Amino acid sequence: MQEVMNWSDEFLAGTFVIIKLFFISLVMVITWGLLGATAKLSNSRIARGIANGFTVLCRGTPEFLLLLIVYFGSAVTLTSIARAINPEIRFLDIPPFWAGAFAISLVIGAYATETFRGAFLGIDKGYIEAAKALGMTRFQVFWKLRVPMMWRLALPGFGNHLLSLLKDTALVSVIGVEGILFTAQQASSVNHKPFTMYLTVAFIFLALSTVIVVTMKCVEKYAYRHLEAAR
Amino acid sequence: MQNNPPIISLKNVHKYFGDFHALRNINLDVEEGQKIVVCGPSGSGKSTMIRCVNGLEQHDEGTIMVNGHTMSSDEKIGNLIRQEVGMVFQSFNLFPHMKVLDNLTMAQRMVRQKTKAEARDTGMKLLERVGIAAQADKFPSQLSGGQQQRVAIARALCMNPKVMLFDEPTSALDPEMISEVLDVMTELARDGMTMICVTHEMGFARSVADRIVFMDQGEIVETGEPETFFANPAHARTRAFLDQIISH
Ligand SMILES: Nc1ncnc2c1ncn2[C@@H]1O[C@H](COP(=O)(O)OP(=O)(O)O)[C@@H](O)[C@H]1O
Ligand SMILES: [Mg+2]
Repeated sequence: MQEVMNWSDEFLAGTFVIIKLFFISLVMVITWGLLGATAKLSNSRIARGIANGFTVLCRGTPEFLLLLIVYFGSAVTLTSIARAINPEIRFLDIPPFWAGAFAISLVIGAYATETFRGAFLGIDKGYIEAAKALGMTRFQVFWKLRVPMMWRLALPGFGNHLLSLLKDTALVSVIGVEGILFTAQQASSVNHKPFTMYLTVAFIFLALSTVIVVTMKCVEKYAYRHLEAAR
Repeated sequence: MQNNPPIISLKNVHKYFGDFHALRNINLDVEEGQKIVVCGPSGSGKSTMIRCVNGLEQHDEGTIMVNGHTMSSDEKIGNLIRQEVGMVFQSFNLFPHMKVLDNLTMAQRMVRQKTKAEARDTGMKLLERVGIAAQADKFPSQLSGGQQQRVAIARALCMNPKVMLFDEPTSALDPEMISEVLDVMTELARDGMTMICVTHEMGFARSVADRIVFMDQGEIVETGEPETFFANPAHARTRAFLDQIISH
């Protein structure tokens, strides 16, 4: 226990890093999911093609690999552009935190695309026609009706994506983001207690995923209160 | 009496679903304040016809004029028309996740740019008019079918439409709830609303309709005032249909 306490500040800081990573990725996940699902359901063949490419690529590649490709790929590109302007520059990269957030969001965003698409398709056409018949524009119908009905249908699947997202935040230590896994690696290289250190990480993840599960229960309760009311 | 142009006018309208010819050469004029009842066997094109009037379906040939606008595939024109044309569906289609009053205020705020207070005011007035103000804070699923359909009528009326379309508004209801909805519709007719009602409620048709339109296989077979329509239908197909629904 003493070994953990010695590193408590670092573990705490690391926890905040992954929480921040989680929320920033989440915003991106929702964005990719909405864009992807809308594109897949659109009439435009090009949009559908791009969205299909996105989901095939990001669901078919190991997350770990995608993370490395995004980080090093962007660094190589940025460095070569920078050197064309100023040959003195040695190395330039996107901050690892942002590269990590982006890479994770692509993977989970690809899964969210499929979940959102299915949920959009699950909306009864009658509600959409009723809104149209009231003179609402397509844009208004999308934001005021399709999205609120879609996210309710997507909720159970989306809860699973949130758990995956949380767990994927562990990966970013590989590009040097100082999350809790990074802390554990550093600590165990000093105190030679890898088991205790990694167990601590596991407990922190377990605690955070419990928070997510409980939160999702509450959100579902709110989202489906109109069904409860009918009983 | 001045001769105003009809508020709804369909001229030589055709509609296809793929190869299927769903509407064949439909001609129908509706003057302001008139009440039209449309009847006919299932699959005869009644829904398709009134859905073409507010552009929920696009017609393929002919012209449809509503309130001075010519219906086209242009969404702006479609919206312009739909803002003035209310519609009530067989399956109510109340937004299930929104409370009754919110069902009534959403489009007012989006389409008519009303403030929240104005929209709620109008909403409550309309709920009172259809006799369910007490249910304003409930969810649709907590209401009976008849109550839900009355909310749906109130929701359409909130937009202050010039025309109301009804597509079999009582067909999904238990028998004991039909009259509460027909009463609201009858009152609306008395207040001078222009209405096209697809319904098989012949009592309602007799007392409210200015004209009855009988459709079969995508065509308007016969149009007539209620007395002549029921007493002396001109076509054998009309007679066969009336025999069938009256014997049931
Ligand atoms: N979206 C559609 N796609 C294909 N066929 C349709 C569609 N809507 C209606 N139809 C067909 O058009 C015909 C008329 O339908 P409808 O207008 O709903 O009839 P009614 O309301 O008189 O029962 C029916 O044969 C129906 O199967
Ligand atoms: Mg029908």
